[in-house]
Amino acid sequence: MKPIRQLIMMCAFIGGLCGVSVAFAADVPAVTPADALKKEADLKSNPLTKDQVCTRCHDESETKPILSLYQTKHGVRADSRAPNCQSCHGESDKHLHGDPSVKGRASPDLVFGSRRGTSGDFETKEAVLQNEACLACHKKDAKRSHWEGSTHQRENVACVSCHVIHNGGHDKVREKLTQPDVCFTCHKEQRNLINKPSHHPIPEGKMACSDCHNPHGSVGPKLMKRDSVNDTCYTCHMEKRGPFVHNHEPVDDDCTNCHNPHGTTAESMLKMRAPFLCNTCHTPHGAVAPSLAGQGAAAPYVSPLNSGVAITQGRGCVNCHSAVHGSNNPGLTLPGTTLPNNSQFLLR
Amino acid sequence: MGRMIMKTRKQKLVFRKKILAISVLLAIGSAYAEDDDVTKLTKNESSVSVGAGGVSGDSKSKSIFTQYNGLRNNDANLLLDIDVTRLNDATGLWTKIEGRNLGLDDRDLNFSQTKQGDWKYFLEYNEITHHDIRTINTGMQGAGSTAPIIKSLTAPGLGADLNLQLRREAATVGGEKWISPNLLFEVSFKDEDKKGARLSGVGITCGFTRYPCGNGVNASGAALLLPEPVDYNTKQIDAKLNYSGDKFLLSGGYYGSYFTNSNGSMTPALSGGLYAPNGTTALAPTANLTNYLTAPIALSPNNQAQQFYVSGNYAFTPTTHSNFKYAYTHATQNDSFGSMGLSGGPAGIGDLGGVMNTNLLQFGLTSRPTAKLNVVANLRYEDKNDSTPQSAYNVLSGSSPLQQYSNGYSNSSTKINGKLEAAYQLPNHYRATVGIDYATVQRAAPPSLTSPAATDMGLAVGGLRENTREASYRAELRKVLSDTLNGAVGVVHSQRTGDSWTLYNATGTLPSSMLDRNRNKVKLSAEWVPISKLSLQFNFEDGKDTYTGPAQVGLSDTKMYLAAIDATYVLSENWKLTGYLNQSDQTQDISHFSIQSQLEDVNTSVSLGVVGKQSSRLDVGGNLSYMNDSNRYNVSSAGLPDVTYRVTTLKLFGKYALQNNGDVRVDFVHQNASFNEWTWGNNGTPFTYSDNTTVTMQPNQNVNYLGASYIYKFR
Repeated sequence: MKPIRQLIMMCAFIGGLCGVSVAFAADVPAVTPADALKKEADLKSNPLTKDQVCTRCHDESETKPILSLYQTKHGVRADSRAPNCQSCHGESDKHLHGDPSVKGRASPDLVFGSRRGTSGDFETKEAVLQNEACLACHKKDAKRSHWEGSTHQRENVACVSCHVIHNGGHDKVREKLTQPDVCFTCHKEQRNLINKPSHHPIPEGKMACSDCHNPHGSVGPKLMKRDSVNDTCYTCHMEKRGPFVHNHEPVDDDCTNCHNPHGTTAESMLKMRAPFLCNTCHTPHGAVAPSLAGQGAAAPYVSPLNSGVAITQGRGCVNCHSAVHGSNNPGLTLPGTTLPNNSQFLLR
Repeated sequence: MGRMIMKTRKQKLVFRKKILAISVLLAIGSAYAEDDDVTKLTKNESSVSVGAGGVSGDSKSKSIFTQYNGLRNNDANLLLDIDVTRLNDATGLWTKIEGRNLGLDDRDLNFSQTKQGDWKYFLEYNEITHHDIRTINTGMQGAGSTAPIIKSLTAPGLGADLNLQLRREAATVGGEKWISPNLLFEVSFKDEDKKGARLSGVGITCGFTRYPCGNGVNASGAALLLPEPVDYNTKQIDAKLNYSGDKFLLSGGYYGSYFTNSNGSMTPALSGGLYAPNGTTALAPTANLTNYLTAPIALSPNNQAQQFYVSGNYAFTPTTHSNFKYAYTHATQNDSFGSMGLSGGPAGIGDLGGVMNTNLLQFGLTSRPTAKLNVVANLRYEDKNDSTPQSAYNVLSGSSPLQQYSNGYSNSSTKINGKLEAAYQLPNHYRATVGIDYATVQRAAPPSLTSPAATDMGLAVGGLRENTREASYRAELRKVLSDTLNGAVGVVHSQRTGDSWTLYNATGTLPSSMLDRNRNKVKLSAEWVPISKLSLQFNFEDGKDTYTGPAQVGLSDTKMYLAAIDATYVLSENWKLTGYLNQSDQTQDISHFSIQSQLEDVNTSVSLGVVGKQSSRLDVGGNLSYMNDSNRYNVSSAGLPDVTYRVTTLKLFGKYALQNNGDVRVDFVHQNASFNEWTWGNNGTPFTYSDNTTVTMQPNQNVNYLGASYIYKFR
């Protein structure tokens, strides 16, 4: 089929060229000096016309999806703030009209790309210069107010290291399902952790990194979305906020004292299993070695406090100290008795 | 240069094809091909995807795979996604409807309209259910309610299976409006319900003066697993006004958050005997033990917080910028004890009256005094003032008659973090960065050694410390070796110290967050493109923390290392291979009394993926990943078996364009997970609670998922 298809195309091409040439010759008027001046003025004032300076070459045949910019907010002409090609890439006169000192085509004024090297055929500019082009408009966004001095800015991460501008509205980093893959380009440890059995629903696409972190900069540590780790966690786990009658101070200090929110093998995203985690701060109940049911004890439950099994298996220390995040129980004694309630030990 | 020529050639080839296409269509009287190409690129495409998918196996055999993805309960599921985007070019009005997983119990639905540069509003609805991967077997009645009834099983495993879940349903509305070209108002309101149950319990060891259970065979104590009923509502309001000028941005905002729990307490009841302590015969617990196990258990109280803040940035010059934030948060908790079903507090006290006020102040400065030099300075000050009234809630251990005392230890703290960093572009494409970080934490004064609290403190911790401070020193050198190779090496050294300790127990464990710490870490990274089709990325990290304190118990050392290689290989214009290999190892050394424990977590992860276009109509892809995670417990006494988690996942997809506006997509996933842990049982011997309740999980799970959808596309 291929040779026949080629033959048909050739015939159509010849016929089409004839027809197109005639039509074109009949329609194109002569260009006067006044027209040329008007055209130049138009180029400077009309954004759409300015784009055409670039899109007459970077058209629909381009291997990179340049025109798909018009599917995005950057390409909405009804918004007077929308940029044209030159707003970001510069006037690029040498790229347009040639530079005798450059063999082949000169580079546009500003070429975007990650810090990993060249973008296509041209050398990319430093991240700070690339980012200046983006921030010229996006500095007005309060979510980016703390970009300067933030971790990614100091590490020379370019906006386009994470964002795709020309890809027709499908910017991977702005979609929950695909955002983590972009972050894992650099953050390898977290890529491992989210696949452990106790994890936030990131692999399932229900949460993304930006649900907890603001990669554009924040006041909180580790680019937390809120002002602190705890404030960020409380947006979904508000029941832990308290304050309680009996507080557990490391809970109020920092959730990550005990939890690794990226994922763990131990339940509830705890960094370690009981009793080991608790023993990093608390004196164990006597010289009781962690042990397992069937590992020698006659019965799984002998004496909870002094049972190596009870502090290791089940919920470990939390088998008894169940109010581990804090207890609001004010009772001094158990109801109807003179026996102590012991809620200060987070037992109920 | 070679690549440039290739690209030009490609453009010419494509240009020729375009001309050919135009000619053909002109010949037949239509310019459809050209308009269609441009339309495809410039007009947003919308789609509706409908299909069905199912996962093999029963709920136990797929519990790990279906933890969050809404595929737990049914064999076959409706797959329905909507993605509609409409743009009115003339007015700049966007209308978007996005629906994901609409046929599952973790659906998302969003509707928004945006008049770009003017206003926006949106409505969102989100659901997610977390299914616990384990199954409880119990004789309990009313599990997950506020009044469960404990009924012992005659033997473990003879009860009813219970699978706990937590379900969230959230609705969010919001919008923004540009009041003027420089003034933007933003607001959002989120309302979320969370319902279900999660693991909790109660337990006590008797025989101490702290709690005498009385005399009898069943006097030494008991522990019960009680699912905590969860019926929460949270509301969050975010509102801010942003004003931006050429040199500055200023935002003023309010963030309010409100938590309500429909349940104040849980009060279990006992029906019959318990098996503790002998494990063979159910015996009636002593009266004291029964009293303890059936007393109300406090659940999370209602609480609320309001935050007001001002933040923004200012450009002193084009190369010198500052940013800042001041925030005041007023958090309260005054849930009535009576309404929570709790009693017995200090006389005349009806609620905690909890108040926590926080002041946060941050100021940062960045500057490029020369083209090669970058300087960053930042200061963050956070003061939390616990203004909760102190009352005599505590009972002194072993005192008779019972002696009450107040909490005596507030949650107040002041944290100051400072940072100073300079980066300089050296000759030969070197970039050097040096930095100093300083952090100090000032906590409330610990209870004095003569206070009643000291006795109870000594039961829990060896001591407390009011102040800790840490200085970190960082250095990094980055080098662009060539167009295709660059790398970086960084080191961190930090030392934490603090005030003297208030020691309650000479042989007790000191909290690890307060111990002196010496930290050293090195990080290496490199990116290399040896040939145009292959890119490689290398990462390596190694670190060690050493903890010291007056008593050598508790956490002493932790170590970590991580090595990762990532690769991408472009097979052709249409095919690409990706892969990675990760290896990591973390150890923690913990000592207590005569028992030394070294915990180690060794993880190996590998992945290989391919994606490509088999033909102009057929896209295919696959990914094979493997993770082996091994937690080792080297304990100086008997030792514990390893806990291992291995998972192999194969994902395949194919998408075929049936016609211009319709695709068929098929997804297949095979996952083999093996999770061997001793938390709930060891070598066939289950861990049993005092009523013979047990918890199990199928350790080896093989799952197959198959889904097929028809995707209708339109513009």
